[in-house]
Amino acid sequence: MMDRLNAVQKTVFAIILAGMVMLVAIPLLFFITVSFSNSTEMTQFPKNIFPSGEVTVYVEPKDDGKYELFYDYQDGSGYTSIITTNNASKLEKHFARQYAVVMDGEEILEEFSRTRTEGAREFTFRKDMFYNFKQFFKIVPNAGVALKNSIIVSLYTILISLSLGSLAGYAIARYQFKGREQINVGLLIVRMFPTVGISIPMAVMLIKMGLYDTMIGLAFLYSIPNIALTSWITSSIFIGINKELEEASYVFGANSIQTFLKITLPMAFPAMAASSMYSFLTAWNDTISALILTNENQTLALVVYKAIGTTSSGIQYAAAGSIVLIIPALVFTFIIRKYIGQMWGGVEL
Amino acid sequence: MHKNMKKATPYLLLFPIFIYYAVFWLAPVASGIKEVFVGMDGDFTLTENLKLMFRSDLFSESVLNTAAFAAISVVLQYVIALVLALLLSRKFIGSRFLMFISMIPMAITPTATAILWKTGLVKDGWINSLLMGLHIIDNPIVFMNAEGFQAILLLIVIDTWTVTPSVMIILIAGLQGLQKELKEAAYTFGANKWQILKDITLPILRPSITTSVIMRMIAAVQVWSIAVMVLGYSKAPFLVERIAFYVDAIPGVDTSTKLAYTYSFLTTIVVLLATVVYLRVSGRNKIAAGGEDE
Amino acid sequence: MSYLEIKNLQKRYTAKGPLIVDNMNLSIEKGEFIVFLGPSGCGKTTTIRMISGLEEISGGDITVDGESIVNKLPRERGVSMIFQSYAVWPHMTVYDNIAYPLKLQKLPKDEIKKRVQAAAEATEIQGLLKRYPAQMSGGQRQRVAVSRAIVVEPRLFLMDEPLSNLDAKLRVSMRTELKRIHTKQGSTSIFVTHDQSEAMSMADRIVVMYKGKIEQIGTPMEVYQDSATRFVAEFIGTPPTNFFDASIVREGQEIYARGEGFDYKVPSSLHSALAGYAGKEIDMGIRPEYIDILPDQRKQDGYFCDARIDFVEPQGSHSILITEIGANKNVKIHTVDHMDIKQGTKVSCHVKNGMVMFFDKESSKRIK
Repeated sequence: MMDRLNAVQKTVFAIILAGMVMLVAIPLLFFITVSFSNSTEMTQFPKNIFPSGEVTVYVEPKDDGKYELFYDYQDGSGYTSIITTNNASKLEKHFARQYAVVMDGEEILEEFSRTRTEGAREFTFRKDMFYNFKQFFKIVPNAGVALKNSIIVSLYTILISLSLGSLAGYAIARYQFKGREQINVGLLIVRMFPTVGISIPMAVMLIKMGLYDTMIGLAFLYSIPNIALTSWITSSIFIGINKELEEASYVFGANSIQTFLKITLPMAFPAMAASSMYSFLTAWNDTISALILTNENQTLALVVYKAIGTTSSGIQYAAAGSIVLIIPALVFTFIIRKYIGQMWGGVEL
Repeated sequence: MHKNMKKATPYLLLFPIFIYYAVFWLAPVASGIKEVFVGMDGDFTLTENLKLMFRSDLFSESVLNTAAFAAISVVLQYVIALVLALLLSRKFIGSRFLMFISMIPMAITPTATAILWKTGLVKDGWINSLLMGLHIIDNPIVFMNAEGFQAILLLIVIDTWTVTPSVMIILIAGLQGLQKELKEAAYTFGANKWQILKDITLPILRPSITTSVIMRMIAAVQVWSIAVMVLGYSKAPFLVERIAFYVDAIPGVDTSTKLAYTYSFLTTIVVLLATVVYLRVSGRNKIAAGGEDE
Repeated sequence: MSYLEIKNLQKRYTAKGPLIVDNMNLSIEKGEFIVFLGPSGCGKTTTIRMISGLEEISGGDITVDGESIVNKLPRERGVSMIFQSYAVWPHMTVYDNIAYPLKLQKLPKDEIKKRVQAAAEATEIQGLLKRYPAQMSGGQRQRVAVSRAIVVEPRLFLMDEPLSNLDAKLRVSMRTELKRIHTKQGSTSIFVTHDQSEAMSMADRIVVMYKGKIEQIGTPMEVYQDSATRFVAEFIGTPPTNFFDASIVREGQEIYARGEGFDYKVPSSLHSALAGYAGKEIDMGIRPEYIDILPDQRKQDGYFCDARIDFVEPQGSHSILITEIGANKNVKIHTVDHMDIKQGTKVSCHVKNGMVMFFDKESSKRIK
């Protein structure tokens, strides 16, 4: 009786809900469309909200054997003349650069020749939807290597954070020892410490160690808060795992290591998976520390960041590159959303 | 013998961490502090670098902007998120879908967010396209010319878009976690919806809202990449934006390095202060909840 | 006209869904302590929530003092409720918890102080007024809930399994506490529980519920000895009633209830009730304490069957014997005279004083 909504309230509720969803979804949709847009579409105004998979041009045959190409910019002025040519390679380049249509120049001319018999007409070509993505990795220097680097540094980070962090988490969960409280507080401080604050000294140190501009060096930095975070997540879980399960294992003759590997670890798996994804995300998404700690061996996040600075035209390539950046982040964030809620809301599990 | 080994086990397990943090945290922190108090000539100096920073270009702007941005965006985001959460905290069909959608803006890298908004903010971008298509405006707005406070506002809007849905979800989780009977009891004694909200719901949620506000502020204070990517260096200075500037835009100059160190130092101090506040508040929460620290 | 009348009360959650509360009718007198008793899902909590105003009714009416209350807010109904989880507000002190209902009524401060003090003294927590709930035990929090409920001087005192979360010893002592408060305040109370011994010890009358329907309304003794349905006979009493499948056979002037392993001559007092059941199958229920045994296997009046004692469970003041009769492998016998009987002893079993209950197999109703 407290929670009943009348019809008016229900409609308001629905409106607010729809509004929210649209506010979030519309920019995202535009963004995705941009990443699939060809250069011509980028100059069009107004902008489409949904990506299109086709390009339509109007071709008029000319008496001198050339063809005049028209394009409709959707701005109310109808077809606009673009180029007049019969040069195959010129057409090929034009189609690729402007329309993201990847076709052999001769084939294009062949298609156009049909206007000689059928008269001037429209042609619709399929766009290469992945054109921008391919361009990104071609144009942006070292983008492919950067992708690999991002994967490598993320894996290193997971490795270091998980191994050291779960050892600590286990120690804190299972043992009562002097200094336990202080260590907890210390780990909390380290966890919340701004990485940017130690990035520059780290860079100096890594130079001395010969690890500047390496993925392992970067991983050392990323692991700093992540070890503490993993320790926190895993200690909560280890506390939850009944000690008696481990004790039963001892009774049956297993030693501590076997027990840890065969009993405790499998039960802690979800927490460890979550910590791993968190570590991955930190390493994958970070830009500022990568900026400071690397020079030539950049991560994908850094490369995308730099790409956007080079030119405002060609932003669709940067958009495509950032989609690659986003996908693992989206997937993992979705999987570990329960833990993120804990972190932000202060709700302890 | 076995007992001694058992006693030592936790320390053994923690040993790798100690070493790691000694090398990779304590040392850099110490080094970072040292660099702030060592002049370019190598001698100890208390204020040389600090003065350098205070006098540097856009210092006061960066401090003010950081403070304004953090304060305004966090307050704005939490108020909006709370109102939305209160309105939307019932279970309904598609609530799962809403949750998922709301998480997306925050899950994508700030870099991607910046690109997303940049494509919208340019003169022929999708924002103008949308606004003109809906006949809300007749001529395109030139967002990219924004300066000063307008620029900060722009960034606040972008940040709010990113953060508010996620905060809303967390608040909804908190609201739904509230035991139904606590509200029902108040209802049976005659409290109406507003009184239940004011006297029961909000006070109970206050501790977790406070801690999450502080955590959010700590993140907001470190804003930089949307500023640089949407507007460019030095257009909307922030503390961390200055660090990036001195590392990225004019590296290699001695003063740049010193300034980068000093700005890092300042940012760290600010964050640490916020962390201390967080520890005090969450510690108080734990006592109030009657639980032990676990 | 009784004080609280429930007429044809119905509740369903969806338009075509099942009836959670199925046409309930009940009259409660002023000052009565009524217990709603039943297993989980029987509708007892839903009913009390409808009385309090937390749930809407789907049909029927509830009146207090002749006036319908179904469209009134809880406060207007004059009810006060204690929840199973106590619902004590964690962010308020004990004082504020108890005072809050009065604050809502906008009473002056000193009036509030007086009444809070009195309510706290009623449950002996006046020393805890400045504490927070988290610093108190479950039992103390429960008392806060009670004080808070009585501070508004309600005309109807509703309690939804308030003792279920307490440990055993505290539960028993709180039973008497609650009854004492009920009597002292002169309130009319409805108490919901699934614990039949709790219901037996506290109720003026018990309303036994099952699957949304009332099985029986009666005093504790009535529902115990004169169970109206098979469910009531099974649910009330520990150890539970022993049940046997029996055929009613008429032999001349006598009627026998016969089944696998037993042959019982039905006392003449029950002959008229069984009139239409000759040749039919019925359920026969005998409570453990109404089975007498004779170790020398003599057959006397009320002879039922022969049995061998499989297990003996001494309880100190009596023993529970477990035996097998026919298809029923878990027949329990409550004995005082033969407490130290040995396992394996062969005995003859007799029904004491004709205390047997017959139930119709289809309707589950008691054959009277």
